[in-house]
Amino acid sequence: MADDIRALSAQLAQDPQSLVFLRLGEALRRKGQLDAALRVAINGLERHPHLADAHDLYARLLADKHDYERAFDEWDMALRIAPSHTGALKGLAFLYFKVGDVAQAEAHLEAAQRHEPDDPSIAQALAMVRGGVSPPAPTPTAETAPTPTATPAATAPTAASPLDESRVFAGLEGAQEGLLLLDAAGRVLGGALRNPAGADVADAVAAYLAGVSQEAARTAKLLGLGAWGGLSAEGQHGNVHLAQPSKDALLLVVRDRGVPLGRLAILAQRTTAMARRWLERQG
Amino acid sequence: MTTRAVEGWTLQPLTDFVREASVRLVLLMTPAGQVLAQSGFSRAVDVMSAAALGAAIMASTGELARQLRQAPFAALNHQGQRHGIFLSSLRSERGPVVVLAVYDLDVSSLGLVQLFFEQMATDLQAASPKTASKQVLAADFERELSESLNTLFGR
Amino acid sequence: MTAAAFRHALDLVTRVRGVRGAMLVSGDDGLVVAEQLMGGIKGTAVAALAASLSGRLRRAMEAAGVGVSVFWHLQAEQGALLVVPGGGGDSGGLLIVAVAEPDVNIGLVRLELLRAAEAVA
Repeated sequence: MADDIRALSAQLAQDPQSLVFLRLGEALRRKGQLDAALRVAINGLERHPHLADAHDLYARLLADKHDYERAFDEWDMALRIAPSHTGALKGLAFLYFKVGDVAQAEAHLEAAQRHEPDDPSIAQALAMVRGGVSPPAPTPTAETAPTPTATPAATAPTAASPLDESRVFAGLEGAQEGLLLLDAAGRVLGGALRNPAGADVADAVAAYLAGVSQEAARTAKLLGLGAWGGLSAEGQHGNVHLAQPSKDALLLVVRDRGVPLGRLAILAQRTTAMARRWLERQG
Repeated sequence: MTTRAVEGWTLQPLTDFVREASVRLVLLMTPAGQVLAQSGFSRAVDVMSAAALGAAIMASTGELARQLRQAPFAALNHQGQRHGIFLSSLRSERGPVVVLAVYDLDVSSLGLVQLFFEQMATDLQAASPKTASKQVLAADFERELSESLNTLFGR
Repeated sequence: MTAAAFRHALDLVTRVRGVRGAMLVSGDDGLVVAEQLMGGIKGTAVAALAASLSGRLRRAMEAAGVGVSVFWHLQAEQGALLVVPGGGGDSGGLLIVAVAEPDVNIGLVRLELLRAAEAVA
């Protein structure tokens, strides 16, 4: 393995534009050298931004580091470039299963299976998902696909880990601040929000947002635009997105200016889905 | 906020206007200053003062427009530091109705007040009964005024 | 600021495919300053409601610590409202407003709204 890494490193040094960075990144990942693997992946992505495999490699490394939000973005990007990329489909299935969205996990695995019907790892992962067993996380020593470590027959099925009800956005980057779930009266249901000075502003912002959402609904209705679906805004120091997971709830996502509105909207979509599931469970 | 009407047909359009335009105080009255409905006032004396002044302003500006050989002004707006005052008239089957509205500049705006005033004008026109308004005789005036005040303040 | 400058600013926005109308609105009063609208769009309503929503959003964003709004976008089933606060600072001032189809190129409209804001600043 060490010889492989040396050889691959030499090849890459000789020709930085070559795609050998994919194999080098994977080799480093399997050896557990995640930081080195990340550097290789990022350099490769800079040179090949439209290569789905590069995004897939980066996503797997991010998932290894438990940066699931960015891993999701990268797998999502890989799919946009190559809609049949099975690595991305399997990766997203893993993430969806991790947050308890079994339906999405299954759909992505089924899509992967349509493109690679002979891949046994996909069939096994599907069986595990359908049986309620959590597929293993892509570890540094695992194969690139999220392969189960045991067959379903040999492992007692366990329930998919439920979303942590005490923390609506558990597992989502920035859940400690920058995500706020409110009821229609402006009361905080989950999440937290701090201003740049570090002060807790959740309650104050929540109070304002009830009025914003009512005004947004009225504006859309009176101008004949139909039902409102979201409100995004770019501020001098940060960007915000307001959505409605349900008729009686609002979701605010706040990020710094480094997260553009388009990406913020994608994050908001995912967070809205999580919030909706949590609200449904509250009854 | 309490909304009350002497003439029942004004109540719903007025309630809708208050809610949508987020106005603080509203009077609906005849050009002579007879109050038809009110919202937000807590004292009878304030209602009577506002009605008298509002009617007088409308009459003055109406005369000004006449002297300029113009049609009556559509609306008047006075803007202070914290509040705005909007004054306009609309047609109904019961005759012209003058609207005096006071709004907080932090909460509402002239644009919103005008927008929902138009809607209220439509609603009042549709809701107004198609019978001739009875003439107020001097003998009845004081009694009617007293009854109106009782109605407007829920007594 | 002249009527010609306003017209030029609005032209920048309305030429984007999918934009049904553009307006300059007084943020404090919710009154129309200038407009170029397709039939069926009520300018006074757009002005009043956009200004009102802008004000509420501004207060929420200030409370959240993200600063004054540079651009905002209301998405709805059958259309969108896009607004850039223009000249006059962040306490109302002039708003450059676009009413658009739901599938309009948001990035492009945003760019043209920002250019229009510079033109009237």
